[in-house]
Amino acid sequence: MAAGSAPKGMCRISDRMLLLVAGLIYLFLYAPIAIVIFFSFNSAKSTQNFAGFSTKWYGELLRDQTILDAFYNSLFVGVAATAIATVIGTLTALALSRNEFRGKTFADSGIYAATVMPEIVVGVSLLVFFVAAGVGLGITTIVIAHVAFTISFVTIVVRARLSGMDRSIEEAAQDLGANPVQTFLRVTLPLILPGVMAGALLAFTLSFDDFVITFFVSGVGSSTLPLKIYSMLKFGVTPVINALSTVVVLVTLVIILGASRFLGRDEAREVRRATEE
Amino acid sequence: MEERRTMQQSPPGETERKVAVRLSGVTKSFGDFAAVDDVSLDIYEGEFFSLLGPSGCGKTTTLRMIAGFEEPTAGEISVAGQQVQGVPPYKRPVNTVFQSYAIFPHLDVFDNVAFGLKRAGVKGDELRRRVTKACGMVQLAGYEKRRPNMLSGGQQQRVALARALVNRPKVLLLDEPLGALDLKLRKELQLELRTLQEEVGITFVYVTHDQEEALTMSDRIAVMNEGKVQQVADPATLYERPRNRFVAGFIGQTNVISGKVESVNGDRVLIKTAAGAEIEAIAHEEVRVEVGAEAHLAVRPEKLRFGNSGDNVFAAEVRQIVYLGASTQYIMKLADGGRLIVYQQNAHDATVNAAVGDEAQVSCDATNCLVLGG
Repeated sequence: MAAGSAPKGMCRISDRMLLLVAGLIYLFLYAPIAIVIFFSFNSAKSTQNFAGFSTKWYGELLRDQTILDAFYNSLFVGVAATAIATVIGTLTALALSRNEFRGKTFADSGIYAATVMPEIVVGVSLLVFFVAAGVGLGITTIVIAHVAFTISFVTIVVRARLSGMDRSIEEAAQDLGANPVQTFLRVTLPLILPGVMAGALLAFTLSFDDFVITFFVSGVGSSTLPLKIYSMLKFGVTPVINALSTVVVLVTLVIILGASRFLGRDEAREVRRATEE
Repeated sequence: MEERRTMQQSPPGETERKVAVRLSGVTKSFGDFAAVDDVSLDIYEGEFFSLLGPSGCGKTTTLRMIAGFEEPTAGEISVAGQQVQGVPPYKRPVNTVFQSYAIFPHLDVFDNVAFGLKRAGVKGDELRRRVTKACGMVQLAGYEKRRPNMLSGGQQQRVALARALVNRPKVLLLDEPLGALDLKLRKELQLELRTLQEEVGITFVYVTHDQEEALTMSDRIAVMNEGKVQQVADPATLYERPRNRFVAGFIGQTNVISGKVESVNGDRVLIKTAAGAEIEAIAHEEVRVEVGAEAHLAVRPEKLRFGNSGDNVFAAEVRQIVYLGASTQYIMKLADGGRLIVYQQNAHDATVNAAVGDEAQVSCDATNCLVLGG
């Protein structure tokens, strides 16, 4: 107690400094986004002077068929890519955590490496691949590309869940007469489901937000929302863009919050590790 | 009753008893390492059979091969007369109680216990009746709707037991099921398990590293070390007639004295220690002795007594006295530097008056000095 009281004043100053710095960092992180959202409700066309509250730009969004098309494209790509990547990613996680085989370390690091591969390189190489394979660019190529880069994330999240699971629980199921399919459906899947759901939601947000890779592999008329925003920017920042950006932020936020509800501590750590690298 | 059971050399009416599990020449290798090395065992129907040994002796691997989680590298296993090599675990007439319990965390007690019956196609009233009965048998009546995370370790163990027994397996395999429980609960459950086994009459194969646990519960015990079966016998035989040094040392406490074989006369063997003392001992038929060969003999501490009334008399110095309540332990030093442990019952006519530093004579009968095999 006595020892703690002497430097208390200093502590208070440094505590305040820390609070100030932390506050500034958060301001730096979120102020631009907050401003975009704020001006999406501006009644005037300006993105600098706020004239009054209005939701008319959101109405504009709904009236612009090209924006709606882009939104539907994004939704379709997100759902399709997520479904495929979740199945493949989950099976990959099961294979990697259940088997010992030659080249496992290599296969393992391949999964992690894929998450840190520069997007521009992935985009360019996929484009070259599709052209060489004679596949016409469009929604299909976007889905394939999104499946390719989201599988690793699903695998990492599901694997974290599997590593915390007692293997003898599955042995118990087999011991009690469940064949491998029944064991998977009645025991393994229910137990890894939170990880699978979290992986799926993560895959969806990654797909929904992706710009760089999509930019390379999309064809004419297959624009997704991020691509649409970019193309609209060529004509200057308008409140419509602000409104559209707000919608994208909202969708992402809701899904990430949903994912974090499913994510246990282990999975959260794995995801952090994967996305930090 | 208990006495009769444990004193038998082999299970009652061996000739008419059916073999529940037979292992013949079973070996399991992981790379160059043989976890289980040429094990042959007959486990009889209705028997409480224990696999006892230190960790890494191959007892759990043996159990897992019977369950079907591991396939033997060589040898054959049969359960209830059927060869089971290549038969997956879900098609074997055995059930397992796991060390970690392995309760399904997403199912309540009822659904955990019902899991095996549902796979076997049992439905409706019969399912409910059998699950309820199994829960009652392990004192979990009324807990059917509880989630596993709301149960104590002991209760989870009971769920694991009910979940296995409800299927009426030919053989119940138990892998150190009491290992994670505290001592008091463990003692309680040991007795409960034994009673339960007698009630249901199912063959239990019980893996443990705890010799006391094995001795109190089992009809017969296979002592294992380094992948090999050292001896198979009932508890009393294991204690009174250990076949080799490992068994003698692993089951209870023992004094081992080494020397050379001087002469052999029937089962009587005369052994001369390095210090020149001659000791008369017994060699059972399964132990090979040759004149002139090195031999080890074992004497249990409680078979030694103060005085010179026995066949073999040792002169030793009292180094330490440990009072244990019902008995007193004397740690003695022999003339040649060897250590001898002596237990004396603190009976009403106890006459020992030895103090630390005293020279004393202790003796034992030849029939209590056992020559050990390799």
